[in-house]
Amino acid sequence: MQMKNSNDKAGFLGGVTASVTHELQNVLAIIKETSGLMEDFLLMNQAGGMPDLDERLGKCLETIKKQSYRGVTLTSRLNGFAHTSDSPQSTINIFETLQKMISITDRLFKQKGIDVSIIPCDTPYSIITDAILFQMIAFSCIECLIDAFQANTAIILAIQSSESQAAIQLLCNNRDLNHMDYRQKIIQTHHWEKINALCEQLGLKADISTDIPALLIFFK
Amino acid sequence: MKTKILLADDEKEFIEMLAQRLELRDLAVTTVYSGKDAIELAEKIDFDVIILDVLMPEITGIDALQQIKKSKPFTPIIMLTGEASIENAIQGMKLGALDFLIKPADTELLIKKISQARKLKHEHEERIRQAEIENILRTRGW
Repeated sequence: MQMKNSNDKAGFLGGVTASVTHELQNVLAIIKETSGLMEDFLLMNQAGGMPDLDERLGKCLETIKKQSYRGVTLTSRLNGFAHTSDSPQSTINIFETLQKMISITDRLFKQKGIDVSIIPCDTPYSIITDAILFQMIAFSCIECLIDAFQANTAIILAIQSSESQAAIQLLCNNRDLNHMDYRQKIIQTHHWEKINALCEQLGLKADISTDIPALLIFFK
Repeated sequence: MKTKILLADDEKEFIEMLAQRLELRDLAVTTVYSGKDAIELAEKIDFDVIILDVLMPEITGIDALQQIKKSKPFTPIIMLTGEASIENAIQGMKLGALDFLIKPADTELLIKKISQARKLKHEHEERIRQAEIENILRTRGW
């Protein structure tokens, strides 16, 4: 089980890292093309004058500045994500951890045309857990909803609580779905078994909503 | 006549910058930000060369390549990707892409490949024209 966990974690970390570094390559490609364009403008100016040179160079510098900030944000997120594996158990703020997971995996889901978001939560719920496995559960739930409902739409995460229990709800926001199929469709995906196995390891419980296309991860 | 290029990439700033650089080198560039738009525009306009990013949301560059090849089989397509993945390169070439470049690509190399691609397209079109003329002459017994 421990070996399988290590492989799954490595696969998850690798997938996220590949996505972020791909985006970083795009940032660098934009900076390279922009600086190349500035070079072109300067050469043309030397050769015979370039109209509006200052304005053109100013726009290019603005693009480079914007992309530099984008690059810094991406590397900061990736660095924070990489450090979640520093210790096997740590105290995590559930909302913040989910929010960071969404921001770093955003591109992977956008490639599939899916918009993932989280509703802000005022209560600072915390648990002591394996932060990577916890994020893998949320990530698998999103993938499960996409596969189960062919969701070309939005997935919304929310933390819900009553007096006795609290859960993360992951809702597929697609009004065209026939609610009779929810449970069956989710169970049929290969993700459901994995989600349950991961939840069991962390002492959490996964469930399927009967009236809306949603998954629930109970943590209290 | 200027070489007509279609550039498709979801990184808007990247293709806008690249388009400006190509235009300064006397190429006529049209930019689109999705595979879907690339397919639609390629059907309407006879581009000399099409440049597609591999990883675009929903309709990928590989999907777009397959679709465009159905309506414009002789239009040369160059694939661009941020991934140094040989698998994508092989897949794109197998599906009819003329060439492949890893982003960020050297602009002069890209221009060289565009020029080669345009030449190939024109040679191919010329061969078809010649074959058609020969066919007409043969059927009329001249």
